[in-house]
Order: sequence, then C-alpha cells, then structure tokens
Amino acid sequence: MANLEVPKELREEAKAHDMYLHPIAKDTYELFFGPQHMATENFSIILKMDGNRIEKAIVNPGFLHRGFEKLAEQRPYFTNIALLLRICVPESDVPENIYSMAVDEIVGWEVPERAIWIRNVVLEMARVSAWMFWIMGFGNEIGLYTPGQWAAAYRERLMRLFEELTGGRVYHIYTVPGGVRRDIPGDRWLRQLRDTVEYIKSKLKDFDEILFDNYITFERTEGVGVMDKKFALKHAVTGPNLRAVGVPYDVRKDDPYYLYDQLDFEVPILKEGDSLARVLVRRYELEQDLYILEQLLDMGPPSGPYMVQDARLKALPRFKPPKGDAYAHVESTKGDFGAYVVSDGSHKPYRVHIRGPSQSHGVTVLEELLKGARLADVPVILKTLDNCPPDIDR
Amino acid sequence: MARVVGEEKVKLKKSFVKPWMGLKYLFKKPVTIKIPFEKIEPAPKYRGFHTLDWKKCVGCNFCGQICPARAIEMTWLEVDGKMEKRPHPKVDYGRCTFCQFCVDVCPTGALGFSESYILTTDGTGDALELFNWVPIHPDKVKELNERFGDYRFPVVKIEKKADGTYVYYLRDGSKIEFKVLGYGIRPPKKSTPAKPATKSAPAKTTGTTEKNEKSSGKDSKE
Repeated sequence: MANLEVPKELREEAKAHDMYLHPIAKDTYELFFGPQHMATENFSIILKMDGNRIEKAIVNPGFLHRGFEKLAEQRPYFTNIALLLRICVPESDVPENIYSMAVDEIVGWEVPERAIWIRNVVLEMARVSAWMFWIMGFGNEIGLYTPGQWAAAYRERLMRLFEELTGGRVYHIYTVPGGVRRDIPGDRWLRQLRDTVEYIKSKLKDFDEILFDNYITFERTEGVGVMDKKFALKHAVTGPNLRAVGVPYDVRKDDPYYLYDQLDFEVPILKEGDSLARVLVRRYELEQDLYILEQLLDMGPPSGPYMVQDARLKALPRFKPPKGDAYAHVESTKGDFGAYVVSDGSHKPYRVHIRGPSQSHGVTVLEELLKGARLADVPVILKTLDNCPPDIDR
Repeated sequence: MARVVGEEKVKLKKSFVKPWMGLKYLFKKPVTIKIPFEKIEPAPKYRGFHTLDWKKCVGCNFCGQICPARAIEMTWLEVDGKMEKRPHPKVDYGRCTFCQFCVDVCPTGALGFSESYILTTDGTGDALELFNWVPIHPDKVKELNERFGDYRFPVVKIEKKADGTYVYYLRDGSKIEFKVLGYGIRPPKKSTPAKPATKSAPAKTTGTTEKNEKSSGKDSKE
C-alpha cells in the first residue's frame, strides 16, 4: 500500500481549525462512511481502515440535532405532540404515546377504554410498518433488493390505513394526552385492517423464502458483529438486540401497559448475539405483532368516548396540569422507549426527557462491534442493530 | 414473566433453492400505480390546506397560540371598505406542519381543512405570496375541488399591491379582494403616521463614531 502519511504542516493546520483529523500511521487510511450512504441515514462514521479491516470506528452523529427536549419546554402541552414524534421517523407513534402516557399520569386522567384500544392498535400497526421499513433497509444493505421493494409495497397499505384513521401518512399526530384525536372511521376501516394483516401474514412465507432462508443472508450475517451478554447489559442495550443475546426483556411483558397483559404473545430469544440472531429475532417479532393485531381485532373496539371529558380541554392552549412528574415507556422496534415529563403547574412542561433506545446501541456499542469487521460488514451491523439517527441526535 | 420461545422455533435453516421461488412474482400483477393513468385519492379526512369561514371567526387567537410551528399570524382585514370586527388567521405554508391542532381548538368551528394538498410554484418573487394566505370559505374550496378534482391549491395567483391590497385569483377565474390593515391581536391605529427617519439615524451614527473613536484610540496607543 502506498504511503498515505499526511504532511505535518497540513495536520497542524487542520488541528488549528478544530477539524477531526486523527494521526495516520503507515498503511492505514481514514474513510468517511455516511451520511450519504444509504445504510447510515443522516449519520456518519469515521473509519480508520487497515486495508479492508476496520481498526477503529468513531461515530460522528449530530446531523439531525434539533434540541427536542429544550424546544418541548417552550411549547404548550398538546403542541409538543407535533414536535416530539419527529424523534423516531419510522414509528412516529411511539414518542406520541410515551409523552401522552406520562401527561395522563400527571393529570390523573383515566383514559377511556376505546381510546386505549385504538392507541394499542396504532402502536402495533406502527411496529409492523417499522418492521417493513427495516426489511427494506436490511434487504438493500445485503444486496437483496427484491424483498425491500415488496416490503415498501406492503407498508403502503398500512400507511393508507393510517391516512384514513389519522389524516397523515408518516407523521400521524394522532395520540394526544387524554385519548386520541379522531374516532375510528367505521367498520370498513376495521375490515380493511384485518384484510391487510391477513395479506401481510400470507406474504411472510415469501419473505422467508427470499430473504430470511436465503443463504446470502446467512453468509453475510453469521458471526458478524457478535455481542456479549455482559457487554450488552453493561451498555443498556434493549429491544431485539438484547433478546438476541439471550435476555428475555420486553416492556410489553415486564411492565405491561395498555392491553398487553390480556394479549397472548411470545418473546423470541436467541443466544448467539451475532447479526443473524438479531435478524431472526426481528423476523419472529414481526410474526408475533401480526398475531397481536389479530387478537386486538377479535376483541373489537369497546364502545364509549375516544377522548377524556374534561372542562379544562376547552381552553387547550392554556391547559395546565397539576404539579408532578411521570415516566412512561413502551416497547418499540428499536427497544425500550421512555419519556420523563415534569410539570411545574404552568401551561408548558418544565422538563421533557426522552430515553431513546438508539442512544445506547447506536454509539458506543456500534463502535465496539465495528472493530475488526470488514468494510462490507458495516451496513450489515448498522442495520441489524437498527439504530435511528434522529433519536441519537435528538 | 415473559413467555419465552427457544431457539428451535426462531431459528431457520439456510437454503440455496428457496430464494429462486421469488421468481413466481414475475407472473403476477404489479402493485405499483401508473401515475398519469391511475389516480390515488387522498383519504376523506386527509389533513390538507385550511379553510376559514370569515363570518364565524371571532379572532380569539387560539389557533395562533397552539400552533407548534408559529405559522399563524392574526391579520386585520378590510373588505369592501369595511373593517372586519375581528382579526383572522393568516397561515404561512412555509412553516405549517399540517397537524391541524388549530382546527381542533377553534371554538366556533370557523377554521377547517380540505383534502387538497398540492401547491407548486416556480419559487420566484411574487409566486411565493401563495404560501402565506388567509384561508377562504370552505364552500368555495369544496366547489373548486369538485370541479377540478386534482387536489390543488384553490388560488392560482395572489397579487399584492403597494397600498396593502391583496387580490386572490381563484382557479375558476373569480377574484377575492381585501386590504390588510395590520397584524397582531390589537386593532391597528386608524392613522399611521410615517415614522420619523431622523430618530434612528443619529443613534446609529453616534454608535459608529464612538466605535471609531475607540478603535482610533487603540490605534494611537499601539
């Protein structure tokens, strides 16, 4: 390999301008991976390469920093919904729900049963559509573009259902403190949802054939990016990534919210902790989510109002909850997603803190897993960890 | 405690033959929509552009207070030489996030929304006026939607005159004309005297002279 040493003067000049330049030894070079690369999604990694091997990876986030938590302190309670959902783009209902749950707890509202059922269905629909999005990304990263196109087409059906229910396709702005903003459009919508669930269920076999059973998937993921159980617990990894190392932690089971204690579903566990295990755990969870949606549809929406009846809601911009604080968390496709809201009795929250799952497995864990990997493994590790850049930057 | 599923159910076996089964999709109908020939209708309650019944609007500014993007500005209007008794919201679509919280909080139901969502311009000077408008009556928007059916913005051109008069040229050729008197919740003063230009000018000059003096002093010290 050619001598790639940078002249000393240039290095000193870069340092004077506070640039991110690392000392370069012989036969190693620096590679900026992302944010243009499709796998990274507005996220960048600086790779110190030795030939095709990665010696060191330095995560370079911050492209999506908007200061959500500070902005949330300057807006009225209900308005924050339209802001906080941007933390997680593929499943924007999760931030809506955690924030609404926390505010519900502060105010002491008993959310109507119908609203809870709708919220639960929306959360599960968001999970399924996020899995579809993930299949699209993962398939593209390992070079199997066909399942990705299928997944995008099936996700479109869910987006259409969201559009009819909420009025928006990606950012639904639907769940608000005290309930939901609109009622179900009618029985036709429920029938369409059941059809969609059955349709996606029937297509799972095709996904298995072309993507999950595919020997290419096995070759690309087996033994890549192996995570230790101890290491994962130390770095507070949650969600499917934790289940892939053999810890049966699922918020829906361990701290049930909404209707999850009445629902029957299984938690998949694998012990290997490599990329393949993470892929297989996710595949099984997609199956379980469709099963949960079927159960919810069998239960049917309870009758009653879809929003809390409260006189304070008539003056929404000046709505003031009592003093207090609350923490609520749900299980998203990325992991344990939580929100901590503190109220000081005024019409704006005193503090909103979001506990995002990607923060724990998208920065330090990623840096560790990338050590010693090949360049072609970077997108595979990134996608099997399934990090969400807006959540890391916040 | 979680009902755990072991490896035997989750794990799959790798296969060299199965991926070829995907070829069967070559003989199936595509799911893609051929856009110029096929149309997708937005959902019946899709959150699109606003509508406003000017007679119902009481100018309470609830919409302006709840707006997360601060896209709404209360505007005092004069229609046919008569000032409207209450200000009306002016929506800036450069900022609007289409959350429709403004529609939810409207106490009289004056503010509403339509399904139309397409607004494209060439981005030069006057065309950008389209992005900042006082919404028009829902019946008119509905009529235009039914007539054209392509979910475009109901106004084609907004002309702004020097004296604050705005003319909305609607898609069917009709016009809406009104004058903007002022912005804000408080009513505008009837006679707006021209601002004395001398007031700000000397302050600036003094500031600069001071700076000059300071800098010159530094220079002399050095």
